[in-house]
Formats: sequence, structure tokens, C-alpha cells
Amino acid sequence: MPSSPMTKLVPLPVFKPDLYERAWQSIPHPTLPLLATAHQKSVTVFSLSTLSSHSSLTNGHERSVRSTTWKPNLPPHKLCLVTGSFDSTAGLWRWDDQDTGGGGALEVEIKDEKDEKDWELIVVLDGHDSEIKCVSFSPGGQYLATCSRDKSVWIWEDVGANESDDEWETVAVLNEHDGDVKAVAWCPETNRSGRGRYSNDVLASASYDNTVRIWREDGDGEWVCVAVLEGHDGTVWGLQWEPRPQGQGFPRLMTWSADQSVRIWSLQEEEEMEEAAPQHAWGGLSGVPSTMRRSPKEDWVCAAILPKAHTRDVYAATWSADSGMVASTSSDGIIALYREEEEAETNDTADDEAAAELDGDVPMTNGHPKKEPEASRRWKVVSSTPNAHGPYEINHVTWCKRYDQGCPPEKRGIEEMLVSTGDDGIVRPWQVV
Amino acid sequence: MDKDNANPTILNTSQLPTRQNRKNGSALNGPFTNSSALVHKLGYTSSPPWEISESDGTDSDAEGDMELIDEQDIYDLISNISDPEHPLSLGQLAVVNLPDIDITPSPLVAADPNTLTQVLVKITPTITHCSLATVIGLGVRVRLEKVLPPNYRVDVMIKEGTHSQDDQVNKQLADKERVAAALENDTLRGVLDKMLEKCA
Repeated sequence: MPSSPMTKLVPLPVFKPDLYERAWQSIPHPTLPLLATAHQKSVTVFSLSTLSSHSSLTNGHERSVRSTTWKPNLPPHKLCLVTGSFDSTAGLWRWDDQDTGGGGALEVEIKDEKDEKDWELIVVLDGHDSEIKCVSFSPGGQYLATCSRDKSVWIWEDVGANESDDEWETVAVLNEHDGDVKAVAWCPETNRSGRGRYSNDVLASASYDNTVRIWREDGDGEWVCVAVLEGHDGTVWGLQWEPRPQGQGFPRLMTWSADQSVRIWSLQEEEEMEEAAPQHAWGGLSGVPSTMRRSPKEDWVCAAILPKAHTRDVYAATWSADSGMVASTSSDGIIALYREEEEAETNDTADDEAAAELDGDVPMTNGHPKKEPEASRRWKVVSSTPNAHGPYEINHVTWCKRYDQGCPPEKRGIEEMLVSTGDDGIVRPWQVV
Repeated sequence: MDKDNANPTILNTSQLPTRQNRKNGSALNGPFTNSSALVHKLGYTSSPPWEISESDGTDSDAEGDMELIDEQDIYDLISNISDPEHPLSLGQLAVVNLPDIDITPSPLVAADPNTLTQVLVKITPTITHCSLATVIGLGVRVRLEKVLPPNYRVDVMIKEGTHSQDDQVNKQLADKERVAAALENDTLRGVLDKMLEKCA
């Protein structure tokens, strides 16, 4: 990423075909040049090489597909997507490059001649009482989280003997939110296994009740809420963990909201707890009555509010693992780009620590008034692109690797671009220059 | 079922502010032609904003000499929506009122078709605990989103102090995802279609 002060977004050719109807989100495959866009009752998978349709998932849901997630860590010829729908079910779909043989051929319907035959709806995950808003695979692919207007988060585990044996069990139903749960996100793997305090899988959920909750497995198969993040003054539309944490800190969490703001939260880690890890390890809590385990145990503080860049609900934001830059988008049709200023660290650290200390003294959940961080000096808006989808609302934006012909071959799979998805049914890549 | 408000105050249709031609008789007949005329003036069909037509935006018609939409136009688009429980319009029941419609920036300022224009409609439910307030608000939002150009952002709220759970209703009506899901609910869709029957 060039560090020129004049950062701007240059539109690249849009993905073909246009969808001509509201599209909700576009999710890049974790390793392959594919992008899955949820729109109406289906998902269209685009190729990032040709910027055109690769395949589509249709006829699996009675109502709109709101969200989709790729199952990670599969061999390259196998694809697996989960779709979350307003029909209150989640569908698990598989696509196999190799011929599935006789058994599959019998089921091929004559009307589904083209793309459809490749994607097969394998399992319908049934359990939520109303619309599913978001689905998300854990980094290892072992767990799937779903959330719904029914205020619950469900965690499903793949207990099948192998990849082709799809057997999914509900391992947790988390009912602590007071409103629709709008989004769920798993913390990336952190390579912090030496720190006994943390289990590997950490989930965060964002809600219509204006809060964010952090969930951990307690070592005894129980998923517990360890923190409630309060501060947003409106529905929290979504959240993303810091994809590439800096230094030794636990990954930060970015959240965005109907209150038009984007916030960054960080865990206040206590040194003595780190040192005494074995005694405080989550496994050690097994003997504690579950009523006590339910109380939040981690201090999460709002470390920054990104400078204001939007005038309406922020519907999406995305944090780059490569550049550390954040992009956000909104009902106002703007795509804003932010950079965290590294050089300001020496000056601001003292202030931040003082502020963090003040915040840290007050647990996030007890309703006491707490100091609100000012718009952070360390985050700067480096570009704002109005009318990125003309007059239409933009529902989603994501960082994504480039594989298209317009990108020099040596940079394919390395250089990043943004992809925005709007009410106009257009999925548009943007080059950041 | 029992109506929430069996005896609402009803305004005479001739007292309602309108730019619509009444010489054809009742207010229920008039709007047909006039609303279509406004839709024509907008240069848009009555399909919802997410159903994009291929010629959209490039039409010289839509951008060129488009007349500006003012509060009265908005009122005329929603005042003939039928109340879900009374055989009367939202205008007649004074659920929608011309002074409670705001357009920002003001329609006097000429704007290009990409400039966001906010239409804020504050509705007054007939009684403070009216359980149908959300449905009425949804009807107003859906009606306006159907006919207004895509640079319009429609915000529907309960007028302050007229409803006991106005915060909850406002939050629901502002939630794009909930509105989208509600429109896929067949029962609710049926109620809304009936409310909007008298609109063009």
C-alpha cells in the first residue's frame, strides 16, 4: 500500500452479471479466488479471476439468504458454503469438482441443467424460531455459529467421522441478548496457546440491543458470556476481529452501528493473571457453580471511536490483515477509508493508557457511567468516496485479494482490493491507490 | 376482533390538504389518476427500489426536467393509504399530517439525482397504545420507497408523545433488515397490500 497522502478508491469493472436486485453481502473464500454474494433467495459465486459468475446456489431457501460463510481448510477441489436465511434455517452446501458418480446422477433434475448441478444442499440446520441474520465458521472449521431475530446464538459442531460425513450437533444455545442478534464473528487463531487463560475459540455477537457480547468455551463444554460491551447508541450491525494483531496483545474487536459510528475495543489484560495462568485457567472453573460462571469476567474497553465519516447507519466495515486499514460503508452511500497512524503511538500511548486505566477501573457491564473515548487521534480518515453505488444504499464492503487480468501476474493473490455490495445489485471491486 | 379504537375522529375528505383534483367526486377515486401522474413525474415505475430496471439512471427523462418533490407530494402519496382496521384513509384519520412531513435538504434547493434526500414522516397513531402503529408505519415506508427515486431515504417515526412505545416502534421501522424480512412474511404482506390497494 503506497503511503501517499492522497489515497483514493478507483472503481474497477463490476462483477458480471449484475444481479438487478438487492444484494446483502459478498464473502471472499479464505484461500481460493472466489467470492460468494447473497441476494434474494440465492447465492451467486463469482470468480475473482474472470470477475464473472462461477456458479450459483438456488432453490434451497424459501426466503432471502442474508448471510453466507465458507468452510475453511478444505482441499481445493472441494467447496462448502453455509447459507443463513430469513426462512429461519441454515443450509450447508457442497460442491465437488470430481464427479460424484452414480448416486448423485440419479438425483439430477432435468430442469437444473447448468450451474445448479454442482452445488448440492446437504444439510438443513433447523432450530431458530425466526430469521437468521448471520452465519460464521470458526477458523478451524469445527464450529459454526448462527444468530437470529429470536435473540439467540447457536453454536453447531461438525461431529461427523470425516469431511464427507455431515453430522452436525447443537453444542450451545446462547440466550443472553435482549434483542435480535445481528452478527457473529469468531476470533482468528492467535498462536497464544502458551497462555492458559484462553480457550482457542472465541466468539463475539452484535445485537439490536445495542451491545456486543464475548463468548468462550469454559473447558467443560459450556459456552459462557465473559464480557458485555456497552457503548453503542443504536443497533450494532456487525463486528470483525483484528485479522492480524499487533505485538503480544489479544486481537482487538471492531464494531459498527446504527449510531453511525465504528468502534474499536480491546481486552484489558492483567499481568498477574497471565503469570498465574494455571490457577486461573478456564479448565479450573469446572468446579465453580454455573450461576457464578455466568458473570462476565473480562474487562473490555472501547479503545477508539473512528473519526466520524457517515451520516446514517453504518452497515459494514472491514479490517485489512495486510495493511491494517479499515473501510466502512453505510446507508449514506459513502465508502470511507481509515488508517491507524503508527507514528502517533509514542505521543499518544500515555494518554491512551491513562484513558484505558480510567475505563478499566469500571467494569463494562454494571451500568455505571463511564468515560467515553473521544474520536481517536490515532485513526484518520484517509479517503471518503460518496455515491459509491450512485444513489443506492451499500450493504457490505470487504477486503479481498486480486486475481483479475488487470492486476500484474506477480501481484495476483497478493494485492488487495475492496469489494462493495449494494441495493442496486452491483458487486463492485475498488483499487486503493 | 375488537378494534383498538372503535370511534376515531374522522376528518372530512374535503378538509384534507391536497393538490389532487377532486372534481371527479370522492377522494377515493381521485388519487388513481393523480398518483400515477406523480409517478410519471418522478420518472419511475411503481416497482420497489431494489428491482432495478436496466435503463435506470441513464434515462434523460428521469434526470432532466424532473420536477421537485415537495411535502405536499409526499402527503398525497401516503394520505390515501387505508387504515388496517378502519375503512378510512390515514389522511382522514389524521394519522398522517402535512405539517409532520419534512424533506431535507429542502425541495427548494435543486439537487442532483445522487444527492441524498431524507424524507421524515411522523405519524400520529389514533390512540397511544395502538398495536398497529408498526404496521401503519411500515405501510408508509413501503409506499414511499416504492415510488420515490433511489436517492431518497425514508424515515418513518411515531410523533413524540403520541404512543406509549414509540422508541421501540421507531427502532423497528428504521431497521432495514427487519423491514426486508417483514415484506417476505405472507400474512403481513397481505395486510400491507390491502392498505396500499387504494394507492396507484
